Amino acid sequence: MMQLFAWLEGTGLSTWIREADTVWAYPTVLTLHTIGLGVLGGAAAILDLRLLGIGGRAPLAPMRTLFRLMWAGFWINAVTGALLFAADATERGTSWLFFFKMVLVGIGVVTVVLIRRAVDESGENAVMVSGAARRLAIISLVVWTAAVTAGRLLAYV
Amino acid sequence: MDLVNVAHLHLLLNHFPTIGTVVGLGLLLLAFARRNDHLVRASLEVFFLIALLTLPAYLTGVAAQTVVQGRAGVSDAAITAHQNAALLAFLLMEVTGALAWFGLWQSRRNSRPGRSTLGTVLLLSVVTVVLMGRAATYGGEISHPEIRISADAPPVEDALAVGTRWLGTASISGAVAAYPWVWPAAECLHFIGLCLVFGLLLTVNLRLLGFMRGLSFASLHRLLPWGIMAFAVNLMTGMLFVISAPEQYTENGPFYWKVALLGLAGVNFLYLTVFDKNWALREGDEPRPLDRALAGAAIMLWVGVIYAGRMLPFIGNAF
Repeated sequence: MMQLFAWLEGTGLSTWIREADTVWAYPTVLTLHTIGLGVLGGAAAILDLRLLGIGGRAPLAPMRTLFRLMWAGFWINAVTGALLFAADATERGTSWLFFFKMVLVGIGVVTVVLIRRAVDESGENAVMVSGAARRLAIISLVVWTAAVTAGRLLAYV
Repeated sequence: MDLVNVAHLHLLLNHFPTIGTVVGLGLLLLAFARRNDHLVRASLEVFFLIALLTLPAYLTGVAAQTVVQGRAGVSDAAITAHQNAALLAFLLMEVTGALAWFGLWQSRRNSRPGRSTLGTVLLLSVVTVVLMGRAATYGGEISHPEIRISADAPPVEDALAVGTRWLGTASISGAVAAYPWVWPAAECLHFIGLCLVFGLLLTVNLRLLGFMRGLSFASLHRLLPWGIMAFAVNLMTGMLFVISAPEQYTENGPFYWKVALLGLAGVNFLYLTVFDKNWALREGDEPRPLDRALAGAAIMLWVGVIYAGRMLPFIGNAF
C-alpha cells in the first residue's frame, strides 16, 4: 500500500500540483475543493433544515433541484479531493483523520441518496416527510458538519 | 496595495460610521415623531449600510496602524486605546445593523417591523452613536496632539476602557496565542458558516435566476435570517483571525478584494429584502431580467468571496 501511495505521490501530475510555483496548481485545486464544499454542504444543509421544518413549509418537490447541486458539489470535490490526495498520498493515506473524513463523506453520500428517496416518495404536493426522513436529515447535518470539521483539521493535525 | 493609501482610506472611511449612525438615529426619531413607516424603513436601511461600511473602516484602521506606529509623536498607548474603543463600537454597530435588517425582514413579511425590534434598534443605535464618537475621539488623539490635554501624557482611559479591557485586541490575540486550539476551531466554524451562507444564498439566487420555479420567493425569504446568523459566526471568527494575526491581512491583496466583495454582497443581501418586485414572485412566476442579472451577480460575488479567502495564503501572505 505504501508503495502505491509513494508511486502516486511521485507521478508528474502529483508533483506539479504539490510543487508548481503557480496559482493554478495546488491553490486552484484547493479553492475549487472549498467551492465544492460550499455547494454540497450548503445545499444539503438547506434541504435538511427544510425537512426539519426550519424556515417554513415551502413545497418540497421543486427543492429537488438541490439534489442536483449536491451531486455537482460532490463530483467537484471527488475530483479535486482525489488530486489533493495524490499530491500528498503518503501523508494522507496514513492519516487516521483523513480515513475518518472519508468514512463521514461516505455516510453523508448515503444520507443524500436516502433523503432523495424519501422526498421522491412523499409525492408532488408534499410539504412534510416521515419521521424517519427527519431523523435522516439530522444525521446528514451532523455528518456533513463533522466531515467539514475533519477536512479543515487536516491542515493542523 | 500601497499602505499609504490604506491609511488614507481609513481617514476616508472612518467618517461613515461616526456620522452615519447619527443620521440613522435622526431618521428613526423623525420617523417616530411623524409616525411614518417609510422613514422607519429608510433609517433601518441606513443602519444596515453603515454596518457594512464599518467593516472596511475597522480593517483599514488595522492597516493604518502599521503605517503610523513608531512615528514621532505617535504613542502606542493612544493607538491601543483607539483600537479597543473602535472594536467595541464595531461590535455594537454590527449588532445594530443585523437587527435593523431583521426589522426590514419583518416589515416585508408583516408590513411593519416588530415593536420590540424597533425598540432594541433605537436603544442599540443610541449606544452605538456614543461608542462611535468615543472611538473617533480616541482616534483623533493619535495624530492630533493639539487636542490632547497634555502633549506628552498618554490618553486618559475612561472607566469603559478599563471595564472592557478583556474584550480588547490584546486579550483576544493573547487568548489565541495561549490556546493553540482556538485558531483551528475558529477555522472549522468559519467553514461551516461558509456552507450555510453560501448554500442559502445560492438557493435563493437560483430561484431568482429561474430555477426551482415551484417555490415562491416568499418561502425562500423566510430562510434569510439564518443567513445573517451564519454570517455572524463568520464575521466573529474572521475578526478573530484579523485581530490575532493582523500582519497576515493588512498587506494581503486578496484580503482587500474579499472585504470589497463582501460589501457588494451585503448590498445585494439588502436588495433581497427591500425591493418589491422579487417579493412578488409567486410559485411558477418567471423572474424579471433585472432579478436574474442581480442573482447571477450575487452568486459570482459569493464565489469571489470564497476564492479571495481561500487564496489568502497563496496570492497573499497569510500563514
